[in-house]
Amino acid sequence: MVNHGIVLDLVERLATVADGATAAVPLGPGDQGLLTQTVAAWCARTGNELLEVRNGAAIIRRGHTPDPLAGLASGQMPGTRLWMYTNFDCNLACDYCCARSSPQTARRALGIDRVRRLAGEAVQAGVSELLLTGGEPFLLPDLDDLVEACTDALPTTLLTNGMLFRGHRLERLRRMDRDRLALQISLDSATPDTHDSHRGTGSWARAVAGIRIAQDEGIRVRVAATLPAGQSHELQPFHTFLDSLGIAPEDQVIRALAHRGNADAGLELTIESLIPEVTVTADGVYWHPVSADDTDQLVTAEIFPLAEAIAEVRRRFSDYRARANAATQWFPCA
Amino acid sequence: MSAPLIVGSVAYTPNVVTIWEGIRDYFAGTPAEMDFVLFSNYGRQVDSLLEGTIDLAWNTNLAWVRTVAQTNGACRALAMRDTDTMFRTMFVARAGTGLGGLEDLKGRRLALGSRDSAQAAILPVHFLTRAGLAEGEVDLLRIDSDVGKHGDTGRSELDALRAVLDDKADAAAIGINTWEAIGRDELMPGAMEVFWESPIYSHCNFTALPALTEERSVPWVEHLLAMDWDDPRHRPILEMEGLRRWVAPRLEGYESLFEAVQEQGIGPRW
Repeated sequence: MVNHGIVLDLVERLATVADGATAAVPLGPGDQGLLTQTVAAWCARTGNELLEVRNGAAIIRRGHTPDPLAGLASGQMPGTRLWMYTNFDCNLACDYCCARSSPQTARRALGIDRVRRLAGEAVQAGVSELLLTGGEPFLLPDLDDLVEACTDALPTTLLTNGMLFRGHRLERLRRMDRDRLALQISLDSATPDTHDSHRGTGSWARAVAGIRIAQDEGIRVRVAATLPAGQSHELQPFHTFLDSLGIAPEDQVIRALAHRGNADAGLELTIESLIPEVTVTADGVYWHPVSADDTDQLVTAEIFPLAEAIAEVRRRFSDYRARANAATQWFPCA
Repeated sequence: MSAPLIVGSVAYTPNVVTIWEGIRDYFAGTPAEMDFVLFSNYGRQVDSLLEGTIDLAWNTNLAWVRTVAQTNGACRALAMRDTDTMFRTMFVARAGTGLGGLEDLKGRRLALGSRDSAQAAILPVHFLTRAGLAEGEVDLLRIDSDVGKHGDTGRSELDALRAVLDDKADAAAIGINTWEAIGRDELMPGAMEVFWESPIYSHCNFTALPALTEERSVPWVEHLLAMDWDDPRHRPILEMEGLRRWVAPRLEGYESLFEAVQEQGIGPRW
């Protein structure tokens, strides 16, 4: 026999609770399963949310649950941008590389077939921008084909250290669609010292030269710096230098150093604290490009269908945010 | 720009603050800006309307009837919720008790809500009288759990339902809003059923005195009526306040309560 008074308890208790706040309503004696069903049905009917049943009490939030993703800027919605790690091997061995890329790193290439399929499915899934990153993508002999598959589908950004624009690699660059492609070249400082200390002697000068080559080819260039949080005082001279190179202010990107991969310090980024950007590698779908070599942020080994992978990232992200929101309202009674 | 219109409301739940802040924000930047004042009971609110402390009172039906009485009919109603035009009292009992109408309550126990609740006390007695039941023929169990708020909290009606479940009463009279809140008979299958429901009557309205000019009230009412259920900025407020749209007042819906107040000798003041 169900204790029908539970419904009266629910109405009475929730009436005294402010919208968005939670209340604990004891289930009382009787079949706990049936009582929980009644509480769930009442909540569904009245626009309240049953959070859980614990220690014989239903924990209920008054009112509609806010959409946990509602506060996100449109560009932050998971699945707006799709990252692809094209290979992982690199001509540099940066000491903070989040992907552990280096000349010794084995190539794990996505390959043209998967990149082409991903680009096509990305359009269907509502992705608005593709981003290709390496290791160093210009090591790939078919990079122009990969880029073409992407730019045929969506606006594309290609991340590079800008050091390899010579010979047949420069020819590949010239074959890319200037109207749909931007290069994002890594440069950490206005002078060689800082940049070279992480990336190797001479790398700053070659990167700056690469920026100029790409600009001369009529390709939009973004510059991205990776800096420890404590070096923010270096930003102004850096921006002044980039201005002198003709890099538009909106194309000057500063990224905080993450404690991932080869980095021995930096921001601690966990799935719970990191807004995801869906990232595909040869090994699967990852939470974010900064953690694409870390199994703790592997979402699924199944790359296809892409829409399902994006949906899974969104679902997990919603759960994390809803849980975080709920935690701020939590006042256990016992 | 003229001073904002001051609207009075009774704080019967913490969410009243959220509701009125939302409505105030909705009027912000319009030619009819408003602010609000919360009261702990309808008596104090109507006094403040009469004293001119507030320009408008969000009144229950009993507060409206009493304001009419105290102003010799000079007050006017400006608007109400769509749900206020079709309010009802539901007479409920345990399923299977065999009650088929009000006349079957003769010699039985009827739980009523707070004595100043039109839906759960004043009108139910009026309906009993109209059904030919003389005073004393039904054993009335009055539960005055939230006097002063005219039954807005629903507390006394829940207590009346508890009385039925606890076998302290054979039936209870509650507002349709409480019946909806407990999920009608769907959430308590086999427990409660309606055996008589009243004709519709009117419930709350925005009450103004003649001192509020039409020059000020008309733009305010026009903007109020423009609130749109399909507009996601308006929807949360409408949901919390329990309506889909604001409408012009349906004054004939107060006739039964005027009669009941007169029959039962309920005074114009508190």
